[in-house]
Amino acid sequence: MRDDSLHEPQFALHVEDLTVSYGADPALWDIDLDIPPGVMAAIVGPNGSGKSTLLKTALGLVRPVAGHVRFLGRPVEQMRGKIGYVPQRHSVDWDFPTTARDVVEMGLYRKIGWFRRPGAADLARAIDALRELGMQDYADRQISQLSGGQQQRVFIARALVQDAPILILDEPMAGVDAATEAVIIDLLHRLRAQGRTIIVVHHDLTTVQSYFDWLVMMNVRIIAQGPVAQTYTPDNLRATYGRQLAMIAQPGAVE
Amino acid sequence: MSALLASSIVQTVLVGAALLGAISGMLGAFAVLRQQSLLGDALSHAALPGVCLGFLVAGGRDLGSILAGAFFTGALAALVMQVIVRRTTLKTDAALGIVLSVFFAVGVVALTHIQGQGGAASAGLMTFLFGQAAAILRSDLWIMGAGGLAALALVLAFWKEFKLVSFDANFARAQGLPVAWIEGALTVMVAFAIVIGLQLVGVVLMVALLIAPAAAARQWTNALGPMVVLSAALGAVSGALGALISASARGLATGPVVVLIATAFVLISMLAAPRRGLVWQGLAARAMRARISEGRVLTALQGLAQAHGDTAYKAERGMLNTALGAAPHAMRIDALERRGLIQQVTHPPETTPHWELTQAGHEEARALSGNAADKDRNLS
Amino acid sequence: MIDAYFASIPAMILTTGILVGASGALLGSFLVLRGNSMLTDAISHSIVLGIILVWLLTGHLTGPFQILGAAVTGLVTVALSEALARSGLVKMDAAIGLIFPALFATGVILISLNARNVHIDVDTVLLGEIGFVWLHTLTLGGLRVPVAVATLGAVFAVNLAFVLAFWKELKLTTFDAGLAAALGLFPGVLHYAVLTLTSVTAVAAFDAVGAVLFIAFVIVPPATAYLLTRRLWLMVVMAVAFSVLSCVTGYILAVQWNVSIGGMMAAMTGLWFALALLLAPGRGLMSQALRRSSERLDHDCRTLVAHLYTHQNSPDMPEENTRRALTDHLRWPESRARAAILRALDRDLIERRDGLLALRPKGQAVAEGIFARHDRPLMGLD
Repeated sequence: MRDDSLHEPQFALHVEDLTVSYGADPALWDIDLDIPPGVMAAIVGPNGSGKSTLLKTALGLVRPVAGHVRFLGRPVEQMRGKIGYVPQRHSVDWDFPTTARDVVEMGLYRKIGWFRRPGAADLARAIDALRELGMQDYADRQISQLSGGQQQRVFIARALVQDAPILILDEPMAGVDAATEAVIIDLLHRLRAQGRTIIVVHHDLTTVQSYFDWLVMMNVRIIAQGPVAQTYTPDNLRATYGRQLAMIAQPGAVE
Repeated sequence: MSALLASSIVQTVLVGAALLGAISGMLGAFAVLRQQSLLGDALSHAALPGVCLGFLVAGGRDLGSILAGAFFTGALAALVMQVIVRRTTLKTDAALGIVLSVFFAVGVVALTHIQGQGGAASAGLMTFLFGQAAAILRSDLWIMGAGGLAALALVLAFWKEFKLVSFDANFARAQGLPVAWIEGALTVMVAFAIVIGLQLVGVVLMVALLIAPAAAARQWTNALGPMVVLSAALGAVSGALGALISASARGLATGPVVVLIATAFVLISMLAAPRRGLVWQGLAARAMRARISEGRVLTALQGLAQAHGDTAYKAERGMLNTALGAAPHAMRIDALERRGLIQQVTHPPETTPHWELTQAGHEEARALSGNAADKDRNLS
Repeated sequence: MIDAYFASIPAMILTTGILVGASGALLGSFLVLRGNSMLTDAISHSIVLGIILVWLLTGHLTGPFQILGAAVTGLVTVALSEALARSGLVKMDAAIGLIFPALFATGVILISLNARNVHIDVDTVLLGEIGFVWLHTLTLGGLRVPVAVATLGAVFAVNLAFVLAFWKELKLTTFDAGLAAALGLFPGVLHYAVLTLTSVTAVAAFDAVGAVLFIAFVIVPPATAYLLTRRLWLMVVMAVAFSVLSCVTGYILAVQWNVSIGGMMAAMTGLWFALALLLAPGRGLMSQALRRSSERLDHDCRTLVAHLYTHQNSPDMPEENTRRALTDHLRWPESRARAAILRALDRDLIERRDGLLALRPKGQAVAEGIFARHDRPLMGLD
């Protein structure tokens, strides 16, 4: 099979036999994963289970030992403009001298192309994206003067402005206030209603059922995947989290 | 002074020093933001063997070959650092320290080797340790000017890519930008700034000319563009002033003088810059504390008034002390009176001063306690 | 005999170098492991200011109080850098890069201004004059001993005593400062104790090797030892040994080539580091390269076993557990797939069964081992 031909185009994300290792320690073992288009999928698993590594490998930021990844049937290199990515908030220095609007415009840099500056139309799109997250009044605020939740909203606006059919978010709800979480979830649900695919690394098991319709459970390898209703079972939770489970969620809430 | 400025040598030194300062200020801003400040220290120390190499190859103090040599060993040092960080478990700071000290040691060996061979020109090499502005020649200005323009053109052409990679390299990579190339270009440009700054500041203190203007500029602005411009301007002023002072005072190497001027800019910026400056922060914190303690006096008066069912209840100092658990500062009472929120009254037959809330004071106190009540509700 | 030793210039130069190297390496081991290597850079530069200030105040360059006084600037540099970083106005790396050049520049200017009186040359600030240490002597128990040797001997004794006395604590705070704090060991105090001794050592070594070369003696031999061993005591011993080796070889070469002795000694620390980096058994670049090919085959083999394990007894087994799946799904070239299968067959990990690749009991055990590794930390929680 050649790389430029479509491979499994019926899936928004198709991961096949993916193995990633940092040094001698494997981070992902033989991952097989399919996420259909138009769902809002959560990827859950304990700390160190390779959730972020999976996203980074899918996006081509980490080189796998074996296996391959396709978005809508194509390798990631051909899909660069069509995937919105929201990294973990703590991965950057928020004291960087720039404004919220400027950060959102960064999502357009690829589209703007080399040697050209963002124009009025780009600015308008950035403001629109901020408005979607209720952040239009903070457009010219220096990013260090934003609260954690507001910073997260700016990050999401940066991915939103790309108008991408697939959105990938790494722990967007980590350490944000309740109001921000509600705004984010509301936005993601609207995006799903437009037919986009949302893939979220998620850490809060108690909200999986209410927020998501697709679930991937993993711990270095895939434990279970499918619609939340069939996948979110006590057995799968136990298999994913082991005895750690008692500390994370009430088993009663599952049954 | 004007006679000094009229001298063509001094003019050369002044222009050269300002150019060097501007270039390192501009490129240093990116190094500081990428949290690679100390990489500049390692690379500048690593330039010393290159300076000697250039001297040996050219057989004399030829700026072109000396700069080329410095650039070569600087790049080699960056490469060795990469290998150490990627291929061993040694931390980045250890890699910096190893490269810095070992390359410098090799440079010292080469330097003493050249001196051992004698020759008048070899003495000039020692000026690369601490810099000597007076050694800048008119012909050197062309090299610096051309290099500076090239760096400026690169920064303008790739402005948004440099910004994005400095802020969030992972996102840039996910966008498909050639991040390794962009980061490489930034590192090479810093190495270039170091190399042409060596004449002025010397290998030992060059790091300060990269960091200090950028650190000072950062305090005054919250946008990258103005920060880079201001950093270049502060670098230019530091360089020019330092060169002028060291040229007019005998036996004073330029590097230390430039560094002290640049550091003075940092100090002033950190103290006086609006919003970020320590003075500003201190005043803001004090104003905040004052507001809080004034608010407590108001709500205490309000509480007493409510407890006695008398809106014009007059409290004396002792009662306030009891209500607040401590004596309110006289300045706070004065401030409240000035703001028209309380007024001092007498309460015959007693002769001690008493205070009561004014109309405005009642409203302010209601607003304060209302807020507090709201907060309590939200918390529960 | 002893007289002859202390009267011998080469012996005194070597002894000085070895004492600098050994004192530095003792402390450097902990600085390198804690990720504080660049604080050495900051300290060794800024003590120049301390030395000239003490000279301006007391008129002397040597003596225990002078050394301690000058060492204070090293600590001040660290404390100021940490305070500046805590203020949030700049990051720690920029803070270090702002403070020490400023203090160093002040020191250099003060030296220039007093050049006529103080016996420090601005250039020797960086390089030291180890070749002339035998010029200044003092009388100790009837022996004429170079001041540098006496001072550095005392410093070495203090450093050694410190490391031996606080070995347990140093070990724990180096690897787990949080746990050390929980056990009431004050990792902060110990951290500053190491930095204080580093400052003192830098001041004592200043005449011999200057501000910059000192960094090589503190950081490079411990880093070299770190490439060769993971046992702390062995690392410290080897670091000291590499220092001594660098001094001896550096001295010989410097005399041979008529170049700076201190510079050559420091450069030699780099040579041993480069050799360790290339040749260290297991961790060196050479054995990494040699291992990479065989390791990749091993790794492919393990990937193959894990792949078969994941899909065995699943509905897609007939499609997945085949040689074709390795090329089509794992995206391995034909040759890589063949090599992995052959090695797995060789090692009795897999067999061909009904046209499929299947795990042998040994392969089953290997696969279970791979996945069990990830369950272990979770078990450890309760």
